[in-house]
Parts: sequence; C-alpha cells; structure tokens
Amino acid sequence: MSVALLRRGAVYAFLSVAAFLSVFPFYWMAVGSTNQSPDIVRGKLGVGENLLVNFQHLMTQVDLPRVFGNSFLIAVISTFLTLAVSSFAGYGFEMFRSRIRERIFQLLLLLLSIPFAALMVPLFVMISRAQLNNTFTAVVLPGIASIFIVFYFRQATKAFPRELRDAARVDGLKEWQIFLFVYLPTMRSTYAAATIIVFMNAWNNYLWPLIVLQTPENKTITLVISTLTAAYTPDYGVILLATVLATAPTLVIFFVLQRQFVQGMLGAVK
Amino acid sequence: MTSLSLKGIRKSYGQLPVIKGVDLTVDSREFVVFVGPSGCGKSTLLRMIAGLESITAGDLEIGGKRMNDVDPSKRGIAMVFQSYALYPHMSVRDNMGFALRFAGKPKDEIARQVNEAARILELGPLLDRLPAQLSGGQRQRVAIGRAIVRHPDVFLFDEPLSNLDAELRVHMRIELARLHRELQATIIYVTHDQVEAMTLADKIVVLREGEVSQVGTPLQLYDDPDNLFVAGFIGSPKMNFLSGEVVDTGAGAATIALVNHGGVRLTKPLGGQLLQKGEMVTIGIRPEHFGVAGQGTDIALAVDVAEHLGSTTYVYAHGGGERLIIQREERHMGDTDAIAVSIPPEAALLFDSAGKRLR
Repeated sequence: MSVALLRRGAVYAFLSVAAFLSVFPFYWMAVGSTNQSPDIVRGKLGVGENLLVNFQHLMTQVDLPRVFGNSFLIAVISTFLTLAVSSFAGYGFEMFRSRIRERIFQLLLLLLSIPFAALMVPLFVMISRAQLNNTFTAVVLPGIASIFIVFYFRQATKAFPRELRDAARVDGLKEWQIFLFVYLPTMRSTYAAATIIVFMNAWNNYLWPLIVLQTPENKTITLVISTLTAAYTPDYGVILLATVLATAPTLVIFFVLQRQFVQGMLGAVK
Repeated sequence: MTSLSLKGIRKSYGQLPVIKGVDLTVDSREFVVFVGPSGCGKSTLLRMIAGLESITAGDLEIGGKRMNDVDPSKRGIAMVFQSYALYPHMSVRDNMGFALRFAGKPKDEIARQVNEAARILELGPLLDRLPAQLSGGQRQRVAIGRAIVRHPDVFLFDEPLSNLDAELRVHMRIELARLHRELQATIIYVTHDQVEAMTLADKIVVLREGEVSQVGTPLQLYDDPDNLFVAGFIGSPKMNFLSGEVVDTGAGAATIALVNHGGVRLTKPLGGQLLQKGEMVTIGIRPEHFGVAGQGTDIALAVDVAEHLGSTTYVYAHGGGERLIIQREERHMGDTDAIAVSIPPEAALLFDSAGKRLR
C-alpha cells in the first residue's frame, strides 16, 4: 500500500515538475509583457502596470499591422498550398499502385534526413536566379511540397475506405471529383491537424525568411522580434509583448481546430 | 432488364492468374449467386463486371454490348458493397441522390427517385440522418437504395450481408428476395455463405481457385454435384465422405467396399463410367440420407455428441477414422454411445480419386 502510494507520489512529483517547466515560460512571457525591462531582469514574477507603455513603445518601433499582415499572408498561402499539394501527393501515393511507388516514397523519406542548413545556400542561389529574392513567393515556394505532410497524408489515407472510392467511381465521379467531393470531406480532421502543423511552421519560420526577405516592409513578426533583441539595451517588456502577440494567432487556430486536431492525430475515418 | 455474358474472362496480377477463364451467361431478371471459399476470385470477378478491375482477356457483354473498356458508371450497373461504402459526410438523401446529381439530373427528378427508393425500402424517416446515425441494417438498406435510384440494368452485390448479425442477416435475405421480385431485376450476388446462395439464387455459380466448378440451380447443385468440392461446399451440415475401393465391376454397376468400415459393400449403378478393380473412390452421402440399420449396408459408429435442434437432431459420430454427421428426426435420441446406420446405395454419390463425380 505504502509502496504504491510512494510510487504514485513520485509520478505526481515528476509530472508536476514537467508541467511547471512547460507552463512557466508562457507565464513569464505573459507577465513580462506587463512589466518594465529592469523588473523583468530582476526576476519579478507578478503582473505589472506597464502593458500600455510597452505597447506604445512597440508601436513606435514596429509597423505592427504591416508585419502581422506579412506573417499572416505568408502563413495562410503556405498552409493552403502545402495542404493542396501534399494531400494530392499523399492520396496518389496510397491510391495508385505502381512498381516504383515504394522506391520513390523511400527516397522522399530519405530526403527528410537532410538538414535545412545543407539546402539553404543552393536554395538561395536558385531563388536568386529565378529573381524571386525578397518576395513572399520565395518564402512560400520551398515549403509547399512538404515531405512530412505528404507522409502524414499517406498514412491517414490508409484508413480511407477504398470502397468509398469504388462507390464513387460506380457513381460516375472522375478521380479529381472523388478527391474533392468524397476524400476531402471525409478526411476533414486530417486536414485540420495538418492545418495546425503547417500554419504554425509557416508562422514561426525564421531562418528561411531571414535569408530571402531583405527590406523592412517585407519582414515577418519572427524577424522583427529578433531585431528587437539586437538593440544596444533591449527592452524586454516590449520584446515579451511582441512575443505574446506573435503567439496569439497559433493559439487561436489551435483552439478552433483542436477537436479535429485530436481526431486527425488518432486517425481520420472511424 | 438486361442479360450479361462472360466469355473466356481472365485476370492476372503480373504473372499470377486469379481468374482462369470464366464462361457464363446471366439471363435477364435472373438472380445469380457467385459462391466459393475466400480467395476463389468471386469478388474479383464481380469487380471486373463492375469495371473496378481491368479484364486481362476475354469479353464482357452487358445487354449485347462489349463493356470491357467502358467506364463503371456507363455500364448500366449499380453496386452494393460489403462495408456499405456510404459517404460519411452526406445525409441518407444525398447519398442516394449522389450519382444522379453527377449524371446531371434535375433536382425534382432526383428527389422523386430518392423518395421512390425510400418508399420501397421504408427509409422515409431516415432520409435526413447521417450514416453514422444508422444501424448496420439501415445502412445496408441505404446502400441498396443508392443502387435502386440509378435504375441499373444489373445489380451487383458484394457480400452485402456479411457485416450484419445473424438475425438481421436472415431478415435482409428475405428483404432482398422480395426486392428482386418487386424490381424484376438482374442481380449478381457474391457470398461465401452457401445458405445465402441456396436461399436467394435462381442460379448458383460455384467458384474455386479462379475457375467455375459448377453452375446450376440450388437444388441441382445440392442433389447432383459434379465434383467433390461442390458436394462438400453446398449443404449445411456438410455432405459426409467415406473412402471406398472398387471390388467388382460389370453389368453397368460397380461394387464398392467401404475400407474403413469392415468392408461393407455397396452396389452402385453406373452409366458408361469405366472403373477398375482396386481403384479408390469416395462415397458421398448427405446427413439426412442415412437409413435405419438392417438394410445390409450398415456401418457402426461411436457417437461424439448429439445436437437437439427441436425438429431435428444432428448426431456427430465417428468410425474407422472418419467423422460423420447423421440427421435424425427423432426428438429424443436418448444417451447413447453407439449408433448403426445404413447407407442406401441410391442416395450415395460416387466420386473418383480426382474428385470427379461418377454417374
């Protein structure tokens, strides 16, 4: 009895520490956005009264609507195109039999192991030659055919009943109509889960936009936050407020889609 | 309604042949059942008729037109799937009208057709529900309704009842028979359940390893099977098989000794079949055809268990290393360890060592 209790206590203690480590940075970020920079550095953990001042400072340093607009546009276009292309590919890989199908798929998975740092320079050269430097197209284009999302859709498509496709064929639908009118609505939760993943990646993307976006009017929120830290005396209150604002959209997307997200992660078709 | 014919139909996946030359004619308004063990190619054959699998060789004709390369939706068929294959995001009404919508039918026409099918299948109150809100039996009725609204020349059913529980299966079986009568439809139906085949079919096609083993009416297959496989497959409980040796031939008859039952002898008339002395054969006898002992062809068996079903009793017994099932009409067999039965020669069927029927 006491051993069981002890074990339980240990588990709770471990989980509490883990929960604290996960939640505390968020708490500190939120609280920090209401405090002055010196208070934050001193380690003040309570809510302050400096939120509006921080906001005013942020607005003077950054063209917030424009930066958010840029981030939003890039994230939305990326999400839409990535889902379209990658779900097409995932559907195709699973539905159409071919002798070389698995070979190609294995090759794609192998590509996942190449770090982005290795691709960065050749990619930049390609984008420059295509004269897409400093455009949103340059940010969006390399991520559209996401191998991870293709893989995710292929795995999810395994649960899509083949008889639904057969029934649709007998009902007179062409392949693209089956995709659009049967597959897509059936796989709603898979799309929801993928939307969260892709949107978050696109929204939080830092390295690639840093390379291809040069002029201030094209900068995204992640790039702007990094420039705030580069000041001679960084204002942590302003930085944390910017971070809170940058986190908000992904949280909203997550809470809107969370039910479908969980379903999508468990398997789309019951 | 339209007839359908298969001429030398073959299907291979790479080097592997799965359908090895099927010739078959399905008459208009006929209810034809493809039956066979799993892996015999019956579903593949049905999918080839539907156009969901390509035909490697041979000709498929529906209504006299060659259909090998015609799109599934233009073949004049409708199909009901084992898993129902209802579109999960659409109401029953939309599921049933989906094909008509894509065929460009006007809305009021679609509504009329859907309502008519709903009336036939008593689906009226369910039209606005989603498939997830229906029971298995209701889903199957919707799947059938989806087929009906298209007014196909030929209905194709792929094991439509195998996901239902036993009671519902019997109910839907009767429902299907009624529907066939009402719609005067040509139906091809695939099942591995020989009871379904026996009760529904005008004509049964028994398939085995990609080939037609025998075609006939249910009673033809039951009473007069062409081979050991059909004899064993059709009928529940199964036909009993006993090993025999030819001990005498001549005068249009052969005398067989039951080697595992003390050499009990049966004399069986044979028309034109040549048998050699010493040749091994198989005797087949249905459980209900055993006679009472004392006919001169008695065998003694040890009883394993007796199943009392009320109107009839099945006795599971063994003797000479062979397990047999005997059907008895007595309600109370009593507790007995041994039983003696006779084998009436006129009810016994004879098969050669290759499993071919000897008549």
